[in-house]
Amino acid sequence: MIDKSAEFSLPPGLVPPQSGLLQPVDWIVGWARANSLWPLVFGTSCCAIEMMATGASDNDWARFGLEVARASPRQADLIILAGTITEKMGSRLVTLHEQMPGPKYVIAMGACTISGGPFYYDNYSVVKGADRLIPVDVYIPGCPPRPEALLYGVMQLQKLIRAGGWRNSIVHRPVNVSPITDPMAETLKEWEVIEAKKQEEMKEAKERFKLENPDYKGVVIKRIVAPKYDEVAPTPRPERGLAQAEIFANLSERFPSLRVHALPEKSAEKVADNVAEVATETSVEKPIETVTEKITAMGREYVLDVAVEPADYLPLIRHLRDDTDLQLDYLIELTAIDWKDRYDVVVHLLSTDKGHKVFVRCALPHVEAPEIESLSSLFAGANWHEREAYDFFGIRFTGHPDLRRLFLEDDFPGHPLRKDFEYPERVVKRPY
Amino acid sequence: MNTPSSPSAPAPEHRLPPGFALHASGADGSQEYFLNMGPQHPSTHGVLKLVVRLDGETVVEVVPHLGFIHRAIEKMGESETYVQYLHLTDRMDYLSSHINNLGVCMAIEKAMGIGVPERGEYIRVMVSELQRIQSHLLWWGAFGMDLGAVTAFLYGFKEREKITALFEDLCGARLTMNYFRPGGSNADVPENFIPRVLEIVEEMKFTLDEFNALLSANPITISRTQGVGALSRERAISYGCSGPVARASGVNFDVRRHAPYSIYDRFEFDVPLGQNGDCYDRYRVRMEEMRQSVRILEQAAASFPEGPHRAKEKPVYKLPAGSYFSSVETARGMFGTYIVSDGGLKPYRIKSRSPNLSNLAPIAEMAAGGKIADLVAILSTLDIIVPDIDR
Amino acid sequence: MIDLTVTHPIGDRIREVLPPLPAALANGALAVASLALLVTVMAILLVWLERKVCARFQARLGPTRVGPFGLLQPIADALKLLMKENLRPTATDMVAYYLAPLLPITGSFLVLTVIPFDHNLQVANPGAGVVFVIAASGLGILGTLIGGWGSNNKYALLGSMRSGAQLFSYELSMVLCMLLVVMAAGSASLREIVLSQQGTVLDWWIFKLPGAGFAAFLLFLISSTAELNRGPLDLSEAEQELTGGFHTEYAGMSFSMFFLAEFVNMFAAAALGSTFFLGGFLAPQIGVHAVDAVLSFVPGVIWFGLKSGFLIFLYMWFRWTFPRLRIDHLLALEWKFLLPVSMGNLLLGATLVTFGLLLP
Repeated sequence: MIDKSAEFSLPPGLVPPQSGLLQPVDWIVGWARANSLWPLVFGTSCCAIEMMATGASDNDWARFGLEVARASPRQADLIILAGTITEKMGSRLVTLHEQMPGPKYVIAMGACTISGGPFYYDNYSVVKGADRLIPVDVYIPGCPPRPEALLYGVMQLQKLIRAGGWRNSIVHRPVNVSPITDPMAETLKEWEVIEAKKQEEMKEAKERFKLENPDYKGVVIKRIVAPKYDEVAPTPRPERGLAQAEIFANLSERFPSLRVHALPEKSAEKVADNVAEVATETSVEKPIETVTEKITAMGREYVLDVAVEPADYLPLIRHLRDDTDLQLDYLIELTAIDWKDRYDVVVHLLSTDKGHKVFVRCALPHVEAPEIESLSSLFAGANWHEREAYDFFGIRFTGHPDLRRLFLEDDFPGHPLRKDFEYPERVVKRPY
Repeated sequence: MNTPSSPSAPAPEHRLPPGFALHASGADGSQEYFLNMGPQHPSTHGVLKLVVRLDGETVVEVVPHLGFIHRAIEKMGESETYVQYLHLTDRMDYLSSHINNLGVCMAIEKAMGIGVPERGEYIRVMVSELQRIQSHLLWWGAFGMDLGAVTAFLYGFKEREKITALFEDLCGARLTMNYFRPGGSNADVPENFIPRVLEIVEEMKFTLDEFNALLSANPITISRTQGVGALSRERAISYGCSGPVARASGVNFDVRRHAPYSIYDRFEFDVPLGQNGDCYDRYRVRMEEMRQSVRILEQAAASFPEGPHRAKEKPVYKLPAGSYFSSVETARGMFGTYIVSDGGLKPYRIKSRSPNLSNLAPIAEMAAGGKIADLVAILSTLDIIVPDIDR
Repeated sequence: MIDLTVTHPIGDRIREVLPPLPAALANGALAVASLALLVTVMAILLVWLERKVCARFQARLGPTRVGPFGLLQPIADALKLLMKENLRPTATDMVAYYLAPLLPITGSFLVLTVIPFDHNLQVANPGAGVVFVIAASGLGILGTLIGGWGSNNKYALLGSMRSGAQLFSYELSMVLCMLLVVMAAGSASLREIVLSQQGTVLDWWIFKLPGAGFAAFLLFLISSTAELNRGPLDLSEAEQELTGGFHTEYAGMSFSMFFLAEFVNMFAAAALGSTFFLGGFLAPQIGVHAVDAVLSFVPGVIWFGLKSGFLIFLYMWFRWTFPRLRIDHLLALEWKFLLPVSMGNLLLGATLVTFGLLLP
């Protein structure tokens, strides 16, 4: 009566079905459980969309009795781990799994839940395989797996359940506790050995072949030539709104200490061209020195990137926002850069009315807790951007109403986007 | 996550959960309590956690907690090459993965002075607009489901599947595309691309009418969304909202119109605007955007040129030292890519400006004073993708 | 002594053979057993039907893998739920937690005891059947209230408080609609009410009271949907808002009691609807003798099933079409619209009955 078509052996820890009188009981219970898998509504990222697509009309997991998706873990039989599991989510996932009554099953859908997938290396937050947290029954590779793959995974799970018998509900399987390794480095090492062996064997084989076929002249190999594409000149995309030189003139009036950050090298050539033009037109030989002229020479594609002293930071941004000409009322983003000797706080502003942008940066000393004034009084949106910068770089924004970490756990050690950030317990460095 | 604990008067001031304003409460005898919504909750669209302070059914205060799907994409970007970073942007806003790819490609092109041939630009625009429609279709379905009309969800997915099939023929993937490259796209479109796009366009016109008949004019939908979660124009700008959320509040800001990239300046399309910034306006703006995308697709299909789909490929992309910024309009708003290069093979710092982070920020203002059901409607019309917020 | 006896060949035979007390006991046991069977079969059939109907509305197939047309799907579900770990969260109130799931299904079971399925197919026929129905259906409300409270979970509590507010309100307009029919039929016995609709289709109370009957039928449909806790008025479950509402913490068998009660309730409500408005077990006669003869040949229980089935289909149609209402809109709808309208409708009906303005 037991499904013999299952072409796999029972995983370790599972009880084999009974024989004799109780065999039909096993069969019936296994049948009922296999055909009534109610999944928990659980999706964290991309795979969740494919999971939903599996439930949608085209694939319809209701055919397998799966459409009774329960939002409460108490009523669910199956967690489909659709999407990356992060360390922060991990504890919640374990709770969810514990809240489910047995027998409970877990399908790991997608590369992230199998091993961390694309987020394995250089990553401080992704769990390297959900089976380190809860026992997983079926693994479905893919990034994300197609709906058909999920259905196939469900069918495999059904086979597993039918083959297991009714007592399996009480079996507690262990989670994966193997140490976190660097599989790519290991593979590379193994590969080197294999490659050396291969080279040796090839050498021998070639010599043997030459001895056996002295007349062999070789074959002509026709290569498929990839189509050649030409280089295309970029289309100029002028910025809208006020001219950047005009903006700078407006600013440097009020903030004399303002500098333009790293005008790119090529400006020199452009300036030279302009000088020549100017010279022919007005026949006045005047080297271009003022910054305003340099900016003008950069053309309309250039966006002003000004560096400001910390003391002028808040007044400058306030001026940019409130000035009737500039009206930079929209905070695109606020972030930071760790230059190893200093931190740059970068603010990108935009005028929704006129369309011009201005980038502002402010250098801070490279200390453990650099401080700068908060923009949250100017832009409501700055609140979260600053919390993010605090989270990633440890920059303290004075006057911020609620400066907590935005993404990471409260007890996360260090600030991950600093260049000197180390977290060997979680981070596996890429071997190349 | 359901923490079993009986409802009780709110904790004293000093024991309020983090993020809550410290104003006195409970003194007037109100029966306020805290409710954890998420990170495992059907209406938070992923793993967003909202701690809601409730007075009966009325929402007093909402504090969002982020980071449950923070995948360290920006840190990883620092150890991957520029083209490798593309696949990470697929996984941020996976419903706009084509457009996210485009944003990164444009930043690289800007830095290296790479142009895109005519056909490549057309492919970019058409695929972006198809993606927008696809994303909005899914949103429409999810919106229906959040309001309790589960059937709408299935209808949305059914229509979406047609575009997904086209994308699959285009690049082999259904969701995480990785199709655009600096200088064009990694493959030419399949032979019957234009006929299939036109077929989708014709079906979309019919579908949109059908969707309107099912949900848009339904009195229950209107009563659930009209006047709910209003966001004023000033607040939308101050919060940095973009995309349909900002446009529903009357902010006339669409990157396609205000900083035209690719060849958007060649096509005629309207930027639909709302007035009240409530859930209904956000709904209408998205419905209208799908029609506008259909318009763009029709125009582009009519003048789709022959020729190479991409420019010459560079063996390696080594950006000159400096910082570069590009912005595109995804289905959810302005997606910015900020690359800081030190002249090496890998970015020194790469930052993606996520539209969802800024769009979610005003949730506390929008939800206060409403009911729990309103909170669900607001979340739904904000159309957030949590992995894009957390990155 | 109230006489609840219903004449039925089997029951009469038992009464002949046995002395009165054992006969009553045996009859009672028989009736309860057959009703229990009916409830089980009905619940399983309706679960299957709901999943199939919903699937068809959503351009899907629904369950297909177990049995023909997936007919065994609910059986697999029931068996699985039976074999599930019985899990009770520690913080719950044990008595309330285990008592609550029993009440809704008991309530609908009790309602079914007075429904006349056919001329002689009824467990008991109390003279005040309508009052009994109203009283018994109150048990279901109690179940959700106790369950939500006993679960010690905020979502469950919110769900149960919602259901309390909702069910008590909608009970009013539902009762008013029933009262209209009771008034017109001149009896509170369900059997009498059915028999008062004898004649053609136009003699059903939905048509016989011009305007008022149809309005009452619509009001009954709306308020019974709310009573059933079904979409678009399923606020106490409201998956997208409250994860599971009052049954958030329920697992395994105790959850399946709630789950099944929903479907038995639906059957009970549809049965009431067809009894009150659609002529119950009476054949839909149209006044043409030849056709009527054929229609009358079909047993009443089949007509009853068809009429109830139609109403059940309507309930499913509602659920899979409309978005959910918000709680304050829901209560406003009842108190500001449905209740005044049903009161006015009752007055209108009274006028029609008093002045004999009924359809011939």
